[in-house]
Formats: sequence, C-alpha cells, structure tokens
Amino acid sequence: MDILTQQLFNGLTIGSVYSLVALGLTLVYGILHIPNFAHGALYMLGAYITLTTMLLWGFNYWVAIAISVLVVGLLGVLMDRLVFHQLRNAPPIHDKIAAIGILLFLEALAQLIWGADYRSMSTPYGEVINMFGLTVTMQRVLINVGAIAVMILLFVFLKKTYIGATIIAMAQNREGAHLVGINTNKVAMLTFMLSGGLAAFAASLSAPINLVFPGMGHLVILKAFVIIILGGMGSIPGAIVGGYILGFSESLGATYLSNDYKDIIAFLLLVIILSFKPKGLFSREGF
Amino acid sequence: MSKLRLVLFVMMVSFVFVLAGCIENTSNPDAGEGEAEAETQEADTEEGEKVVNIGYSGPLSGAAAYYGERTLNGVKMAVEEINTNGGFEVDGQTYKIELNSLDDKYLPNETAANAKRLLQENDTPIIFTPHSGGVKAMQVFNEKEKFIIGAYTSEPGVTAEGNELTVRIPPRYDGYMDPFTTYAMENFGKKIAAIPTASQYGKDWTDMLMPHWEEAGGEVVYNSSVDFSKDTDFFTMVTNALENDPDVMFIGGPSEPTAKLAEQARKLGFEGGFIIMDQAKLDEMKSVTGTYETFEGAVGVLPLVDAEYPGTDQFVEKYRQKFDEDPGSEAGFNYIATHIFKEAMIAAGTVDDAEAIREHMQAGIEALPEDKQVYTVSKIEEDGGFVTGLSVAAVENGEIKSIEVDQ
Repeated sequence: MDILTQQLFNGLTIGSVYSLVALGLTLVYGILHIPNFAHGALYMLGAYITLTTMLLWGFNYWVAIAISVLVVGLLGVLMDRLVFHQLRNAPPIHDKIAAIGILLFLEALAQLIWGADYRSMSTPYGEVINMFGLTVTMQRVLINVGAIAVMILLFVFLKKTYIGATIIAMAQNREGAHLVGINTNKVAMLTFMLSGGLAAFAASLSAPINLVFPGMGHLVILKAFVIIILGGMGSIPGAIVGGYILGFSESLGATYLSNDYKDIIAFLLLVIILSFKPKGLFSREGF
Repeated sequence: MSKLRLVLFVMMVSFVFVLAGCIENTSNPDAGEGEAEAETQEADTEEGEKVVNIGYSGPLSGAAAYYGERTLNGVKMAVEEINTNGGFEVDGQTYKIELNSLDDKYLPNETAANAKRLLQENDTPIIFTPHSGGVKAMQVFNEKEKFIIGAYTSEPGVTAEGNELTVRIPPRYDGYMDPFTTYAMENFGKKIAAIPTASQYGKDWTDMLMPHWEEAGGEVVYNSSVDFSKDTDFFTMVTNALENDPDVMFIGGPSEPTAKLAEQARKLGFEGGFIIMDQAKLDEMKSVTGTYETFEGAVGVLPLVDAEYPGTDQFVEKYRQKFDEDPGSEAGFNYIATHIFKEAMIAAGTVDDAEAIREHMQAGIEALPEDKQVYTVSKIEEDGGFVTGLSVAAVENGEIKSIEVDQ
C-alpha cells in the first residue's frame, strides 16, 4: 500500500510540472495557432535566471522566481513582437521554422552565457518530511501546491477578469474579437507574457529536484506537446488533466508494468485516447 | 512602434550582458566558454619550423558539451606546453603542433564526417575522440586512410576487433568489476539494484557487472535504466528500486545527474552503498551535493585530484590556473596521450606516417618524462590499449579513500 501512495505522490509532482509547461504552450496555441517549439527554451531560461539572481544578488528564492517570471514573460513578448507578429501574414510553416530557430538560438545563447556544465539550484526547502508512510521533500510539496495555486489563479484570471475575457474571446474567434474592439496585438503580447511566465515558474519550481543545464528544456517540451495533443490543442483544462494523466501513467506504469516501457505506456495512452476522441479530451471551444 | 521595439531589444540585450559571465557558483566554477564549431589552436611557427596538425572531434555543444570541453582541455594543454617549449625535433626538423577541433554533438556519423574533413583540410595523422560511437565510426576507414584514433573510451570493444591504428587511452572498464563487486559485497551485502544511464555505454557496463555480481553470489533485485536526457525526476524509479530492499545500488552516467540520483535515493531512506560507473567522477558528484557524506560507502574511480602519480600535482595545479576548476581524469588522460604521441613521433622519426607512429608508441611511453605522468602508463598492448594501473576509491567517513587493487 505504501508504494502506491508514494507513487501517486511522485506522479502528482511530475504531473504538476508537466501541466504548468503544457499550460503555457496551450495558451499560445489557442490564441495564435503557433506550436511554439521554443517554449522549452523559455523553461530553461527561467531556471537560469532564477539561479543567477539567487547566486549573483543573493535574492530570496521567491523574489528570484518573481524576477524570472517577469523577465521570461517579457522575453516571450519580445519573441512575439520581433518574430511571430512579423510573420502574421506568412504561411503557418514559417512560424514553425521560426520557433525552431528561436529554440536553437536561445540554447546556444544560454551555453555561451552560463557555460555547458550542470548547475544545481539549492533552495531552503530541501528537508525530508515523512508523513502517512510517505517520504516527501518540502520542495516537492511546494511544486504541487504552487502548481495548483497558479492553475486556480489562471482560471480566475481568464474567467473573472475583463482582460482574461479578451483572451478567451480571441481564442474563440479572432476576427470577431477584433470587430468588437479588442486589440488583438495587445492580447497576443499578453498571452506570450503569460506563457513565458508559466514556463519560468515551472522551471524554477522543478529545477531544485533536478539540475540546470542548457538542454533541460528537452526534458519537458516533448511531453508538453504530447499533453496538449492529448488534452486538445489550445484547451486549458486539457493541458491540466493531460499533464496529470501523463504524470500518473509514468509513475504507476513504471511501478506496476515496467520502468523501461513507461514512455511506451504514455504514448499508448495517447493513441487510445485519440482513437476515441480524435480532437483530444477537451476539444477546444474557447478553453 | 519600431522605436519601442528597438528600446525593448536593447534592454533585453543589455540584460543578457549584465548576466553574462557573472554567475558565481562556489562549488562548481565556470567550465569555460562555449566553443565555436570549428576552432584551431594555431602554432606560432618561427622560420624553418613546420606544423603537425592534430585533430579532435567531440561534443562541444548540446547535453554532453561540458564533457567534450574537458577532454579537449587536456589535449589543448599538452599542445600548448609542447609549443611553448619550442616544439619538438624529428629528423633534424623542428615541428610545432596545431590542434584542429570540430564539434560532433556526440553523434557517431558527425564524427566520421569531421574526420574526413580533418583529413582533407589538415591532413591529420592523429584524431582524438572521446566516445566509443565516434571511435567505431572512424574505425570503418581509419586503416585505409591511415590515421590513428586517439580513443578516449574505456569500452573494451573498441580494441577487441583488431583495428591496428586505434589507441585506447583509459583503462578498460572490465577491470573494475572485481574490485567494485568485492568492496560493495563485503561492506554492505548481496542485494543490488541497478539504475544505470540509458546510453549504450551504460547498458554494456550493466551487462558486464550484473553477471559478475551474481557469480560472486549476489542477487540482482532491480535493473532498469534511467534516461538523463528525458527524465525530470528520479523519485519514481528510486522508489521502485528501494521497494526491493537492496543493499547496494549501481548508478552511473554523467557525474552531476548521477549525484542527483544518489541524493534522491538518500532522501528516500536508502542507507546502503553505491557502485559508481567509471563515467561519473566522485569529485564532480561532490560539487552537486557539496559533501561526500551523501555518497558514504560509494566505490568508484579515484578522482584525479586525489591521485598520487609523479606528475599529478603539477598537472592539477596548472589546470586549475588555466581553467579555474579541478581537472577530471578525461583531461588528464588526454593530456598524457598527447605527450605520448609526440614522443612516439620523435621515436618513429616521422610526423605523418601513422603506422610508424603506432609502432613506436611503446617507445613513446617509455620516453615520457616523469613530470608529465599524470597517470603512469606502463605499456601499450598489442591491441592498442594503454595499460594503466586501475585507480579505485571509496568514500569512507565522508572522505575519499584510495583502494589497492591487485592487478
């Protein structure tokens, strides 16, 4: 029984990280229909910026996260203005190529600035807690609580605020939103800001349990794409549910079936879900 | 609008420069800047001097870049030393060495392409590469094109097939099986859980260690590999491994993620010992956790900084000065190999006949001055492998303790 609860907790932790990354990806996709391959690079930069501000200026972990969220969010906006906005009238393939270009650029840049070696981020939350036969660390509890808090905030923001409503409006119908007077450029920038911020937050939370290195975005980005396809491209509940499905299937699959085949289990699940719901679990109708 | 864009851009760029290079990490100082794709360390030749080109192909970008850089650093340092000492004389002609390095991103096919390029453009008699895949890719044509592969890999397979122009620099890993097994079994117990890295190298290692462990009367209770390039969290895997109540854990891969894995095992309550694959270095693992206590009872390769060969101290000091970090065995081995190649060229009386150079490797080893002996290579075997004493160490009471191995 112990192992089941332990693995459920492990699945929850990893699912939280996946969900946060997938949320950023799905937001941008919902609004702009761009599969942002560079999202993994934003994730990586988020971790580096948090680490740098902590080490260089000795900031508190949470202050460092706030700075990182802001900086990476702005970087997202910059990406939109400099690249994706310019390509708004180009065929969709150009967006994809540009996204891959940004990914390569940012990774090379990170290696130039911070070097290629692994770095570890230490937080004040390393202590081990044993409760109900579970072994967890404070950092893992933070990941879970933090992720859920951010998801709730995001939901409230989108559903209850005026600015959030403009994002939903634009996701539902771009032309329509434009016609009723929504500034679509601003909404696009806002979406990129949110997306970058979410990536930075996810990275800053999960970096202490792993390491910070230029290739760290690859750990999550492929899985995030799986999640948004599974959940429905552009769907927010889809990204959340999809993230946890993948997290649990990995941890439980590794325990009760086979660790070597845990990725196969996750992808098999994708195939099964898509055969019944070809558009994903929550086919998008404005989030 | 475009003004705003410009201002934003300038702000972003300046932020990047503010960050650039200032990050401080007390336990793990900067590993040096990223390498350009093709870089040449040019030799200042004076009149009447000639240049020998030496090639290097290894991962200088991507996930394994730090590893590639460290191997390259060893070769670089040796080349610099040789050149500042006025080069070397072969048959009355003074030569200096020019090092041409190319990035292969750890991909064997790229190594092969790089080797072709190095041969065509620089006519290199020796090409270094730090991974077994690259070695095997070059072995397809190195005898025909006549160049020596400076193979930095402990994979026994690279010298098993009788390639006549391959020189394997580090000791074969099969030598570690016995001392590692004996130590772990005597000190901890007979049940082992294996969580090695998912690379081919990791699999080969595991396939050799597991039968050995069982032969020695042990039991394998868990065996599954971890993919450090795909898994964000190791808790799941470690939880499953610990469910089988192992006494010893076999782990390995790049040092830093391996250290993280060990740390997570400790957090989940594992109290046994570790067997650490030779790819991971104890001193580099320590830089992640800040203390050896996490790895109490671990048995692995002796860190170079703790070794006591005649030239080690001098090398460690020089390396620290130059690169501002502790050298690992990958830098040390490539350093002596470069010096040995130089001595072999002198002994062979030629700088471009690869076969002659290979034949005089033994003479090169014997001619290696004592102060360059970061490791002591006693001889080169028929198959092209250097014979170096195995250096094994264990962590006891939070400190590195060297273990004597009967050869």
